[in-house]
Amino acid sequence: MGSFGHYLAAHFDTLKAEFWYLFVGGVANGLLYAMVAVGYTLVYGVLRLINFAHSEIFMSGGFAGYFVLRAMVGATVPAGFMSVLIIVLGIAAAGTAGAAAATLVERVAYRPLRRRRAPQLAYLISAIGASYFLFNLAGKEFGHLSVSDPQPYINHTVFTIFGAPVLMYDLIILVVSVVMFIALDWLVGRTRLGRGIRSVAQDAETASLMGVNIDRTIAITFIVGGALGGVAGFLYGLNIGVVYNMGFVPALKAFTAAVLGGIGNLRGAVVGGLLLGIVENLCVVFVQAAYIDVVAFGILVLVLLVRPTGILGERLGRTA
Amino acid sequence: MKLRFSKTVAAIASSALLVMAVPAVVASSSGAAVKHRQTLPTYVIGYEGPLSGGNLQLGLNMVFAVELAINQNNANPHRQFNLKLARYDDQGDPTISPTEAQAAVANTKLIAIVGPAFSGATAAAEPYYSKAHVATVSPSATNPTLATKGWNNFFRVVADDSVQGPADANYLVKTKGFKSVYVVNDGSSYGAGLAQAVATQAQSDGAKVTTATVPGTGQCNNGTASATEYQAAATQVVASGASAMFYGGYYCDLGLFLGALSSSGYSGVVMSGDGSDSPALIQGTTPASAANGVLLSCACSASNNAAFNKGYGNLANFSATTATYAPESYDATNTIIAGMKALLAQHKKITRANLVAELHTITFKGITKVVKFQKNGNIAGSAIYVNKVENGKIVQLGLE
Repeated sequence: MGSFGHYLAAHFDTLKAEFWYLFVGGVANGLLYAMVAVGYTLVYGVLRLINFAHSEIFMSGGFAGYFVLRAMVGATVPAGFMSVLIIVLGIAAAGTAGAAAATLVERVAYRPLRRRRAPQLAYLISAIGASYFLFNLAGKEFGHLSVSDPQPYINHTVFTIFGAPVLMYDLIILVVSVVMFIALDWLVGRTRLGRGIRSVAQDAETASLMGVNIDRTIAITFIVGGALGGVAGFLYGLNIGVVYNMGFVPALKAFTAAVLGGIGNLRGAVVGGLLLGIVENLCVVFVQAAYIDVVAFGILVLVLLVRPTGILGERLGRTA
Repeated sequence: MKLRFSKTVAAIASSALLVMAVPAVVASSSGAAVKHRQTLPTYVIGYEGPLSGGNLQLGLNMVFAVELAINQNNANPHRQFNLKLARYDDQGDPTISPTEAQAAVANTKLIAIVGPAFSGATAAAEPYYSKAHVATVSPSATNPTLATKGWNNFFRVVADDSVQGPADANYLVKTKGFKSVYVVNDGSSYGAGLAQAVATQAQSDGAKVTTATVPGTGQCNNGTASATEYQAAATQVVASGASAMFYGGYYCDLGLFLGALSSSGYSGVVMSGDGSDSPALIQGTTPASAANGVLLSCACSASNNAAFNKGYGNLANFSATTATYAPESYDATNTIIAGMKALLAQHKKITRANLVAELHTITFKGITKVVKFQKNGNIAGSAIYVNKVENGKIVQLGLE
């Protein structure tokens, strides 16, 4: 026991020394998870199903952004206005690609099943099929090797928090995601369109009787979730590079975050994503990186044991 | 009758003329070589390796180098024997290689084998070669256990897997003088084995060693971990204060790690082994400049010999610089040829058994290294090359 106490004491010293470094990185990762998790939660809200093709929506955004960067970044790293322009164009392209891929998935993999009133399981299989098709297509078209994104900015330290550097990359993620979350919250909570989404989430049949166009609402939900997922793919690829199967692991983590926060709850998805990202990074102090997933999923199990609906677990219709 | 006679005479006369004229013409055009060609013996050197199937490219890389060495011997006016190449396609498969080995042994003109290419295929074929005293000189079989089976005919011109780790550790600690080394492995059997060997040797060299496992990612098809783990892992490396990091794993994950190390402000040296020794490392690193300065070790040599590269390119229609194990195959073949010449110089007969004995004593200066074998058939000396990424290109620095 004494040696265990010693172990903890030594590691808490390390934690104190490295806390803010790991925290900053954890927030950045968590915001990326959150952007993807929101897509899962939106679709779950209106269709009551997990869109397993969401990982490929993420990947399509990554590639769209990559192609923009490749076209616009020359031999020297751009700076100033040029950097901002390239990043904005990258975000626009990635959002569009994500929305397009999501629309494609909805039209091809979901809508025909919905028309035929297929059982839930059929949607799941159809989504997995769409996912396999898309990432294998990407592998065939873009190759199976990971390629790095040309850098549209110099990734220097912008400012520090308690000595921990916040890099340009972290700042971009923070600004982009916060803007998108605020816009999304406003869209779902304050607009006519959002009211439609919420009403479909609450009771699709009644909503349609009240004059809500269900097909259109579902299509728009996919577009919104897809755009966010695509942008997340771009921001992820900016630092890590793009490859045909890049979506699988981050999407799995984001799905975990969505469940952790309470599936169907938009703010829950953000909370779950942030929590997962931060905890994952901090646990490296205590265990090796090899155990990150063990800790992350251990926490998920514990939370679900206590709160089966997740941290903010309520239905989309009632809260958002 | 008269007609018939004159026809016969004409026939005899013309054939006599032909018989006299042909040697005269040839002799006048190529001189002394002709006399040789009639008396020179022909021996067969075999190549055993994958010449079809999924590993075809590796086999092609090698067999063109063997062919080049043989062609060069046959074009030499002062040669003492002619050589022929026989190809034995084992597909790199241990279940096929015994059949190929038996076919090779049955060829009475066959004197030695370049290969087998793969370790598993070598282990399966060697009992047959060994019984027939056929010398096998492998350019690429690196499993350490192959040298422990007591096969007197087994040789390889490439260092085995157990050599790389200790050599890398010695290079970092003894040659470069790093006092503190952070050793990471990717959780694969290759990466963990290599990292373990580096850690053990670095410690016994007197360095402070910290070890960590950072598992391979789904992004790289090397595992299921998330690529975001590297940011935290890089923070740990920086916090350890180590001045050098060794990575046991493959290029794709190392590329992700390098990106995180650079944004975490790591200023030390990064070294990795043959699993990372690929131009794809630079392509996969964000930003690509983060790969600059990385040291990569490999038992394989870069193809830096201009004459070899030219001859190889003409023969193979692809560049030797991207053909892994081509220079080693060239050296393996030329070592066999040198052994045969040495036998003649000692007035010994060129036989399979004599060649095996000769290879145990030979010293031959090849294009990759000086080839000299240990008693167990392993190459003498460290024979590990160290490369460095400079301005987005992998440059060979030399032997460690």
